[in-house]
Amino acid sequence: MNNELPPGLALQKVDERIMTLNVGPQHPGSGHMRIIVQIDGDFIVACDPDPGYVHRGEEKMAEYRNYITNIPHLERPVIHDSCNILYPYVLGVEELLGIEVPERAKYIRVIASELNRCVYTMYWLAIYGIFLGHSTMFMWPAGDRELLIDLLEKMTGARVTHAHFVPGGVRNDLPPNFEDVCLRQVNYFEKRIKEYAAIFYDNPILIARTANTGVLSRQDAIRLGTTGSVLRASGVDYDLRKKEPYDIYDELDFQTNVLKEGDSYARSKIPWLDMMESCRIIRHALQKMPKSGSVRVKLKPNPKGKGLDSVYKRVESGRGSLGCYIVSDGKPEPYRVKLSVGSFRNLIALPYLLKGEKLGNMPAVYWSLNYWPVEADR
Amino acid sequence: MNTATGIIKALNSGIKHLAIKRFTLRYPEEKLKFVGDGYQFDPSTGVGIAGYKGRHMLFHDHCTGCQLCSIACEGVAEAIAMVKVPEEHKHNKKAIMPQIDYGKCVFCGLCVDACPFYALYMTNDYELSSFSKEGLIYTPAQLQVKPFVSQDSEIKITDRGATHG
Repeated sequence: MNNELPPGLALQKVDERIMTLNVGPQHPGSGHMRIIVQIDGDFIVACDPDPGYVHRGEEKMAEYRNYITNIPHLERPVIHDSCNILYPYVLGVEELLGIEVPERAKYIRVIASELNRCVYTMYWLAIYGIFLGHSTMFMWPAGDRELLIDLLEKMTGARVTHAHFVPGGVRNDLPPNFEDVCLRQVNYFEKRIKEYAAIFYDNPILIARTANTGVLSRQDAIRLGTTGSVLRASGVDYDLRKKEPYDIYDELDFQTNVLKEGDSYARSKIPWLDMMESCRIIRHALQKMPKSGSVRVKLKPNPKGKGLDSVYKRVESGRGSLGCYIVSDGKPEPYRVKLSVGSFRNLIALPYLLKGEKLGNMPAVYWSLNYWPVEADR
Repeated sequence: MNTATGIIKALNSGIKHLAIKRFTLRYPEEKLKFVGDGYQFDPSTGVGIAGYKGRHMLFHDHCTGCQLCSIACEGVAEAIAMVKVPEEHKHNKKAIMPQIDYGKCVFCGLCVDACPFYALYMTNDYELSSFSKEGLIYTPAQLQVKPFVSQDSEIKITDRGATHG
């Protein structure tokens, strides 16, 4: 009878030493999910992450809306990274409908998605800081994020959930004098994030807390199918912006950051290093961008796919590979939209990382996975 | 030794912030300045004009009651309903115009993209709070009014850090 109940509710034999502890879903340290941990004294012997508390049915909803009206709701899973979560969908629809995107629109998209990646990473860094008990690291990124949100708001007209990308380009051209403002604020932002090194990343207290906790070896990272910063922190040089360049990433000058340690410290450092690369990408894109030209191809308000067809596109988001599989059957609505998100794939590593750790190290390991519960549940 | 210098460096980095300018925006007294007069759309080129996506503004002398904005909102928020208006226009035979429920609107601006007659734009007004749900429903007559906004704070980057001056 016990086997019929869900795993968290099943009656279990009481062990003298092992205690089961539910972390979340209300606990602020777990996000919108539950982590069932079994502890022996202070040490974790087993861990079972239980996501699904914020499932919104995004994929099913996408089957009842046409290719354009899908845009506002598909960016809801990660409102801080809304340009990147729309990117694969928009690229896929463009391939299904056979649209060629203007050159200037591609540059605007890259700038918007890199700004968005930084905004997401700053938010994540603020949360990571506060759960390690570092209140300064909560306040600084939360404030410096405003520089980039201000730029995105000038570009797209909204502070979060921009709804800026559409099949065939972007919704509107850049405002006048945007290049100068963007360059000034991005340069200052880069100067600010370099200051985080002294207070956070080179701080001996943080290193003592996160180094050698939750070590993921290179083989395990590949075997478990992790992506993004988790994979790159374990010594695998895999970035979709380099491996499968989309739009104009192959023309831009940047490098990927790889660390070999695979512990929580390396995993938390990779997104910070990536933000500096993002600043380089933005500067280079602003320099190379055509000064004028069309930014959007005129489309019918209700475009239709060409018969039975399917497409899979993926981009590098703030949390790793983000793929979108779209099936069209010739109707205005897609037959199926499947989102394959980096958060869910990185969560698989959590039970392996937490085994043998102290319970107090759980936030340090859990948040270093760059995990976003809402995106994982979709 | 190494640990001690690391901790001193971290403290020093924090102490430097006593000298830099305050970045906080004192919201109700100061308001952020936006680009332009709000998000607009040019149907002849099919490209929008950058601006803040706030409350809508409806031009009664352009609206033909074609319901395209209402159709665009179907499947997004279903916030737009077409209602009868008392006034009579030659170009609006049915005398219907959009009424927007800001309890549902997600401010995506797809209705502005749908309007082919330059009748629906968005403005910089974002302070739409109300004590009742009915107060969030804006009739065509309310949407006609151009909002009064005084927004002048911008991010300024000085030698002593960024500030909302």
